[in-house]
Amino acid sequence: MVLSSWVNVSRAQYSFWEPDEAFAIEVSLENTELKRLPIYRNSIQSLTVAGDYIIGGTAAREGLSPFVLVASLSERKLIDFEDIENVISGQRSIRSGFCAGENNSFFAGTIANKGSDNSRGDGHLMRIKIDREGTVEIKNLGVPIPGEGIFSLTCDAEGTQLFGISYPTGLFFTYNIKTGNSRIFDDLVPTDEELRTFRDYAQTPDMYLGAALIEDDRGMIYGSKGLNEIFYFDPKNNSFHVLEDKIPEVWGRTSLGQIESWAKSEDGMLYGGNAGDGQLFRLDPSSNRVKNLGKPIMMPRIRGLTFGKDGKLYGVAGGAPGYGHLFSYDQEGEGYHVYGNPQFTMVAPGIEQGIRWRGFNLSTIGSSENGKYIVMGEDEALSQLLIFAIQ
Amino acid sequence: MNITKLLYFLAVLGIIYIVPNRDAHSQEISDKNIVFIDYPGFPEQHSTWNDIGYSPTHNKVFVGVTDHFGKIALYDYDVDLRTMTNRGFIADMANLRDYQWQGKIHSKFIEGPDGEIYFSTDGGVYRSLHLRDHPHGYSGGYFMKWNPETEELTNLGVGMQYETLKDVDVDPHTGVLYGISFPQVHFLVYNPSTNERRDLGRLGGGHVPRVNFTDRWGNAYYVDWRQRLVKYEKSKGELIFARESLPAFPGTPGSHIITGITAYAKDRENGIIYLVTYGAKLLAFNPEKEGIGEIADLGPVYDLEEDPWRPYVPNLNIGDNGKLYYIIGGHGNFVKEDTTVFVEMDPKTGKRTILYEFPVSEIAEATGSDIKDKEGNLYFAGRKRNPGQEPNSTPFMIKFNPAEEVQP
Repeated sequence: MVLSSWVNVSRAQYSFWEPDEAFAIEVSLENTELKRLPIYRNSIQSLTVAGDYIIGGTAAREGLSPFVLVASLSERKLIDFEDIENVISGQRSIRSGFCAGENNSFFAGTIANKGSDNSRGDGHLMRIKIDREGTVEIKNLGVPIPGEGIFSLTCDAEGTQLFGISYPTGLFFTYNIKTGNSRIFDDLVPTDEELRTFRDYAQTPDMYLGAALIEDDRGMIYGSKGLNEIFYFDPKNNSFHVLEDKIPEVWGRTSLGQIESWAKSEDGMLYGGNAGDGQLFRLDPSSNRVKNLGKPIMMPRIRGLTFGKDGKLYGVAGGAPGYGHLFSYDQEGEGYHVYGNPQFTMVAPGIEQGIRWRGFNLSTIGSSENGKYIVMGEDEALSQLLIFAIQ
Repeated sequence: MNITKLLYFLAVLGIIYIVPNRDAHSQEISDKNIVFIDYPGFPEQHSTWNDIGYSPTHNKVFVGVTDHFGKIALYDYDVDLRTMTNRGFIADMANLRDYQWQGKIHSKFIEGPDGEIYFSTDGGVYRSLHLRDHPHGYSGGYFMKWNPETEELTNLGVGMQYETLKDVDVDPHTGVLYGISFPQVHFLVYNPSTNERRDLGRLGGGHVPRVNFTDRWGNAYYVDWRQRLVKYEKSKGELIFARESLPAFPGTPGSHIITGITAYAKDRENGIIYLVTYGAKLLAFNPEKEGIGEIADLGPVYDLEEDPWRPYVPNLNIGDNGKLYYIIGGHGNFVKEDTTVFVEMDPKTGKRTILYEFPVSEIAEATGSDIKDKEGNLYFAGRKRNPGQEPNSTPFMIKFNPAEEVQP
């Protein structure tokens, strides 16, 4: 019914990357006795892997509350989740998780739903702990900036300090985990002229604010500000520096530049993904020079980056209204390899025979601690996890 | 022109021909109960794909015929006059540009409350699968409306950018459309009167169930990846999900489960909607205005000693006699080698009778759901193989009446 069955040559082209050790975990399912997340509250916007556990943060549709979820790599199932409404009322998304702090704790920030009077709610910082059984424990660390959500967040290497960018204004803040003290900086806030430019190009804060932060080996915090600029923050003297080099762009697309993903290699190089046009780039923090590594696919977005144990950089490129693609980048070898929409088998009670799950809208990616497993989360009405092992 | 002359004329043109003698297994139903009707004026025609439907207001059957590349013709069959007419090509009538090419129509044709006919368009060919969001790829499938009185086609806009619209149905009371996207399996609700389009999200796995349908209140139904019914509850404007999966045979592969329902037929008198699944189960669904209704398992579409889930049935009709009619086979999946099997099934007794068998050179596959005219004739969109020829298949319409000879 799809296509003529006697046109086999073309059919053979439409195959999917299905590596030997790969599987999908059913995280979301409506109206079930199984432990699952309900519809429209499960878009997996951030994740990390700690030991056997995948920790994910979701986004919900406006007016609904998100979850922190825990899934097991070895058991291939959802272990636990916590409705954020039970901890902090009025929140909508967790897109800024999960940097690792001391004592096996992880940090994330929230973005709130609008109030009944259409006012902006307060985003909160959270500390998440996972016990040996995979049970989630969340502590509300409070509101760093009233009326602002937390758009991006990272920790320092010691796990004592948080750095974030607020939404929708774009304030930069620091948060001392031990004291709970925070400082707010307006150095990254777009000027009126910049805001006019964004408006001219129909850019909204989620499209121009720095969507990801990373710390280099010297302790500098890197991210993007609008109009293709890259900055770093020096925590030693609380100073901001804008790099001479810009985010790589396609001509005329300056207004679209946004770093939405980062990964750091073992040699301390920073790899970034430009949402605006989908370029991957390498930033050498010692010289602050940027090298454009090109684009894995022709569409915009690189929503996530992570290194595998094979030394390759894995990422998810593209996205709605197009189609997400898993890709790898091997600087020493083949360069880019695009795997398309991964299609892995999902087994769960009631579907013991296994069904194929295809990842179209991959929103986030992470690696297990030993780099063996690459984990991807979806951005769907009913989102799942897709995992493969590096052989 | 009297009817005798008209039929002679059509027969000479090859537009209507009576099925040649073949093995008829039923004493009551013979070769005289079925005819094949060609589509005139489109030499490149290749196939039809579930894109058939009946309009009670106009007493016409509508079919979309494609060259399976980029040319789709809209046909109607006037039941009173027994004429098949090419009404024009979709791209021309909808003012589509080259980059808005459409490969076929995969949706049913369905009459709305205003008597106009709704359908949707489909990428339909390999370039839509592979090129997708590339500039040479597929820009997206359209909701469309055909006015049989004025012969005007209205383009109601894209369902989802880059996505095909596999099926569409309409709320018979409000005219709200329900669409299914491919390959991302999104459930769409579109109100033509307000131009409001809602994307209710992805519901499926690695393969897209091809059929949605409505009940008499205007609620819409689809399935999720567990083959559970998903209902658009119009009173709430939201989706509700059945707790349990539709019945399936033990051992049904996951690839069949995620493909869901392949055809339906409505017993309007008794309020029952009969369903056939990709896992070859016949089901009787008793919908309720609110909530999910009851499902009864009517058993296999065909008796196989092994793998009862295997037969492929992308069509279903119900006669005035309350019996179900379907044609098994297609896409390389046949219960008899290179043979399609036309079956009568009585839901009251469970009895199945093979009425006809066709080599694939006569019927390779038939599609269509719930197409019955006022005279009790049933219709299927058929196609046959043309090995070694181009086009390698030819479509035609099948007209069948279990109660009387079909008047050609």
